[in-house]
Amino acid sequence: MLLSPNAMGRRLRYGLFCTTAIIALFLLLPIVFIVLLSFGSSQWLIFPPPGWTLKWYGQFFANEQWMTSALVSLKVAVLTTICALALGLPAAFALVRGRFPGRELLYALFTLPMIVPLVIIAVAVYALFLKLGYTGTLFAFVVSHVIVALPFTVISLINSLKLFDQAIEDAAVICGASRLQAILKVTFPAIRPGIVAGALFAFLVSWDEVVLSVMMASPSLQTLPVKMWTTLRQDLTPVIAVASTLLIGLSFLVMLIAALLRRRTSPTR
Amino acid sequence: MSAVITDTSQAAATPLVRLSKLNKHYGDFVAVDNLSLDIHEGEFLTFLGSSGSGKSTTLSMLAGFETPSSGEILVQGKSLINVPPHKRDIGMVFQRYSLFPHLSVRGNISFPLDIRKLAADECERRVEAMLKLVQLESFAHRRPSQLSGGQQQRVAIARALVYEPRILLMDEPLGALDKKLREDLQDELRHLHRRLGITIVYVTHDQEEAMRLSQRIAIFSHGRIVGLGTGQTLYQNPPNAFVASFLGNSNFLQGTLTGNASVQFEQQALAIKPQNLPLNSDVLLMVRPEKAQVLPLDAPTPLLTGWNEITAQVSEVVFLGDSLTCSVVTPGGSRLTVKALPHGQAPLHSGAQVRVRWAAADACVYSEWNAADLSKSAAH
Repeated sequence: MLLSPNAMGRRLRYGLFCTTAIIALFLLLPIVFIVLLSFGSSQWLIFPPPGWTLKWYGQFFANEQWMTSALVSLKVAVLTTICALALGLPAAFALVRGRFPGRELLYALFTLPMIVPLVIIAVAVYALFLKLGYTGTLFAFVVSHVIVALPFTVISLINSLKLFDQAIEDAAVICGASRLQAILKVTFPAIRPGIVAGALFAFLVSWDEVVLSVMMASPSLQTLPVKMWTTLRQDLTPVIAVASTLLIGLSFLVMLIAALLRRRTSPTR
Repeated sequence: MSAVITDTSQAAATPLVRLSKLNKHYGDFVAVDNLSLDIHEGEFLTFLGSSGSGKSTTLSMLAGFETPSSGEILVQGKSLINVPPHKRDIGMVFQRYSLFPHLSVRGNISFPLDIRKLAADECERRVEAMLKLVQLESFAHRRPSQLSGGQQQRVAIARALVYEPRILLMDEPLGALDKKLREDLQDELRHLHRRLGITIVYVTHDQEEAMRLSQRIAIFSHGRIVGLGTGQTLYQNPPNAFVASFLGNSNFLQGTLTGNASVQFEQQALAIKPQNLPLNSDVLLMVRPEKAQVLPLDAPTPLLTGWNEITAQVSEVVFLGDSLTCSVVTPGGSRLTVKALPHGQAPLHSGAQVRVRWAAADACVYSEWNAADLSKSAAH
């Protein structure tokens, strides 16, 4: 056998291993680079760092502007998550269960923000909010972030709802639960992994969103990525590396929690 | 005294459920076609039919998941049409168990009681009783995914019975299980029904299962009920050629009526049960394979009165352990299958000339039939 795993396999496996390792390294390198720089003693972001310090972390946490923007980021991300779920859940039910003309079209519409260039959405939303006088408000941040987060949430919810056997919900109904009770008490707990994933996607999209946020920001209200962006244009301080590290750190933490939750909710056999 | 007696007789006369002129259309497709049926208190009634025959749609309308296009569903004289499924007080067991994956066995069974906000001690008592009934006491804390298919289905049955519904609907509940387990659960289910005396409406496409379980069977075809009665009656005296070919195996012989009790079949005169049909009308005789006998040409056994005999040629003999299946062809080209005991007769071999006999009383006679009804038996 020419392609038997034993004859061909060894060299192939070695090759695959190397390719995967290189790709992983390529993906990880910027993160490792920035994390190391945040602990480096040079204020010019020299690599490799001549020495190690926690000075920049001290500066970050002592600076009220950095702390405020981090808090704004957190607030916007949490609100975006809540809104994306509140809109995404009914939308997913309609798209999976509904039998109406234009269902496919509606699905396409919901996923459109993934395809349309971000800048175009940003300009459109900015123009609208500028006219309405909403720029620089929390509302503007949340609305614009929900637009780009919703496709991820909806797709995640749709996938888990498609896998869910509706007869289970019908069973709850015939047991005496109203349709709403059945959805709340049976369907939601059953598709919880999908809901959690959808929420995390929304959170992460909002947490590191910069294009829309730059448009929505005002000097008094800006998210962490916006603060980084504006700071970067003035000077190249290692505090930016600290902010980056914290940004990555929280994203990483969220993914970790998701993985742990998934392990706990998946049925043991 | 007499008033009481009249009351009970009336109660027996009014059915628990009455389906009246029920229709369900999906666009141009007629899923259920002007169907009427009475379901009696305490009976085990099975809807039997192939897929797309309307049996599941009828069950869904009874449960309330489908709304009839027209017609009426009455339970104890009250219309169910505008009652949502969760208020119908009906229990249902689904084909794929449909247990709540995030709840334990106990949680699943107590779900209907929790929804009804039953007192905790009463709830506890009923759940324990159900666990005992389906013999799953030691599995109460397990999740559905930790149970076998048979155990899951027993949980589903307990969950459907715990709130003591008026009617229990079962939609091919054993379809996903393997044969041996299915037979065990069929016996369990039959005993459960006879013990609890609940009304069960059961849907299946498996005729053996229908026979094993039910007191009455309704045979569905193209959205209509084409046969209704006990399994025995339907098998021995099928009301029409479709039911005859659908249930079990059957031989069909086409002939012309020459008298009220005689038929011309391939130049032979055959006796039949007396019919009230015009002379020279085409009729169809149906003989079950086990009701016919096959004998060698030279067998000395005399022909009993009331029996028919035709000659035929053996085309194939298949040994099945407890019986033999012998296929024969008449000179006119009609094919018959005869089920015979493997012993007691001279061995049959293909090509041999034989005599096939059956009692006239054992043959059913039909004056109307569709060619499609008969070819179905060939597909079996």
